[in-house]
Amino acid sequence: MVQQLVVNGIIAGSIYALVAIGFTVIYRTVKFFHLAHGVVYTAGAYFAYSVVSFWLLVFNNQINFMGWLLAILTGVIGAGILGIVIDRFVYYPLRKQNASNLIFLIASFGVFIFIQNLLQLIYGAQILTIRTGPIKEGHHFFDVVITDIQILILTVSIFLMILLWLFIQKTKLGKAMRAVSDDPMAANIVGINPEKIILISFAIGSALAGIAGILISFETNIEPTMGFIAILKGIIASIIGGIGNIPGAVLGGFFLGAVENLGIWKIQAGWKDCIAFVILIIFLLIRPWGIMGIKTEKETI
Amino acid sequence: MEYFLHILVIAGIYIILSLSLNLIVGYTGLPGLGHAAFSCIGAYTSSLLALNMGLSPWVGLLIGACVAALCGIIIGYPAVRLKGDYLALATFGLGLIVYSIAKNWVSLTRGPMGLPGIPGFSAFGYQLSEIWCYLLLVLAFVVLAIFVINRIVNSPFGRILRSIREDEIASEALGKNTVKHKLIVFVIGAFFAGIAGSLYAHYITFIDPSSFTVMESITILLMVIFGGMGSISGSIVGAVILVVFPELLRFLGMPSSIAAPTRQMIYGLLLVVLMIKRPQGIMGKYRFR
Repeated sequence: MVQQLVVNGIIAGSIYALVAIGFTVIYRTVKFFHLAHGVVYTAGAYFAYSVVSFWLLVFNNQINFMGWLLAILTGVIGAGILGIVIDRFVYYPLRKQNASNLIFLIASFGVFIFIQNLLQLIYGAQILTIRTGPIKEGHHFFDVVITDIQILILTVSIFLMILLWLFIQKTKLGKAMRAVSDDPMAANIVGINPEKIILISFAIGSALAGIAGILISFETNIEPTMGFIAILKGIIASIIGGIGNIPGAVLGGFFLGAVENLGIWKIQAGWKDCIAFVILIIFLLIRPWGIMGIKTEKETI
Repeated sequence: MEYFLHILVIAGIYIILSLSLNLIVGYTGLPGLGHAAFSCIGAYTSSLLALNMGLSPWVGLLIGACVAALCGIIIGYPAVRLKGDYLALATFGLGLIVYSIAKNWVSLTRGPMGLPGIPGFSAFGYQLSEIWCYLLLVLAFVVLAIFVINRIVNSPFGRILRSIREDEIASEALGKNTVKHKLIVFVIGAFFAGIAGSLYAHYITFIDPSSFTVMESITILLMVIFGGMGSISGSIVGAVILVVFPELLRFLGMPSSIAAPTRQMIYGLLLVVLMIKRPQGIMGKYRFR
């Protein structure tokens, strides 16, 4: 029982971590809470769903590898483009006015509500599914059941986390992103265009959200409101890991997933979201700079 | 006519909510994203007292508001120590926790099934069943809220609130206990939200957790921002417009499956446009910093 809960926690945690690293990539360059990240995650799943359902319609209820690939690519690229569009049309004008973080936060909430309800208007409020074929029983390892999809989620997310880490640490573009994150003004002086880096961050972060959305839609279902809890968990994971810290976001994601799932061992499942926020508030009060973060001046929190 | 009066009653309840949130958001500059939680606490307290213990709604209203204010202390005590976006996130989270409690503590709140058959108000031995009685009742509370909040913001206490909003460090340097002041504001806001929640419960006679979602908190925040941050008349205008406007969509003959998302889409768009074009709202002078 406990082993199963730990495994479930790790699977849930990998999705939280994936949302959290996408959020963190964006947060590092723009330094505000991009709540609309959650709706990008939802949109990624819906883009993939549209391609799959279109493919099933055209090819007589059959879908092959090409179809899946096209669906996933559409979802990921679509999410990336959506992130860029949000930045250009909402955040760019606000940046020009030097708006405060709270204005960004509220505007981002507005974007979230707008796109979520747009999706609901187009696809309806009902639960949709992207899976085809019968549901297979999972593999058994030492009292633990794990499905193919869960193994896929775990491998893809760990692979992406390593890839992102290498990108940020080893490539020239990653270095430029770190520079803009540390000091946009100084980065500008040495010839890095911060606007360009912000766009790249939005594209990468949003594509990661899209991947997370597609992965979760294989595991569970798609509904317009799914991004809300996802982004909250992503933000909580980032804060408890240390905001702006990519390894911290991964750690925070797994930690949150594990605690939530172990929590429902003793408490009813309905309280899951409550547990996450209680953890957040405990962290904000005791260790606001997070597990991996560095304690800065008190005034910043 | 009944329908028109009903809209006015609902608008009155929202005016109380947006006025009390304006005290927190507009006058003190604290981003409160979980205001519906306080009205949820007020509504559930007074309904449960009336249903389980047969307490008069008048007493329930007062106790509900006091319990909401008490929760304002409990929630505000940790929250007001946080700054800016972290405070926004914490209030948001606490709103979600209260919603989650209302939904999951089934043995007390009946969870998603809600509480039906909440008794209405009675006065001098007569049950208030006519809608205009409720309109007068709600109006009385609106006037009370306007009076109290107007007195607060125009007092020396209100000046300290504005100084916290403009520059917290400077007001600390002047020897003002900013944490205490922020906490008091939170409690007053929660008290009025509790009154509004209780009025709503006894007027509609049915409550369930879905009336107190995070979206509800955001709608109240939108009323404050749209009407004008730090403006009493702004809050009234904001609440009235945002209550009446969705009803117009209904008159256009939209089915509710389309009208509900359309309304929220417009709310979202309105938030974005306001933030870009006029973050202080139509009648306000202050913007978030």
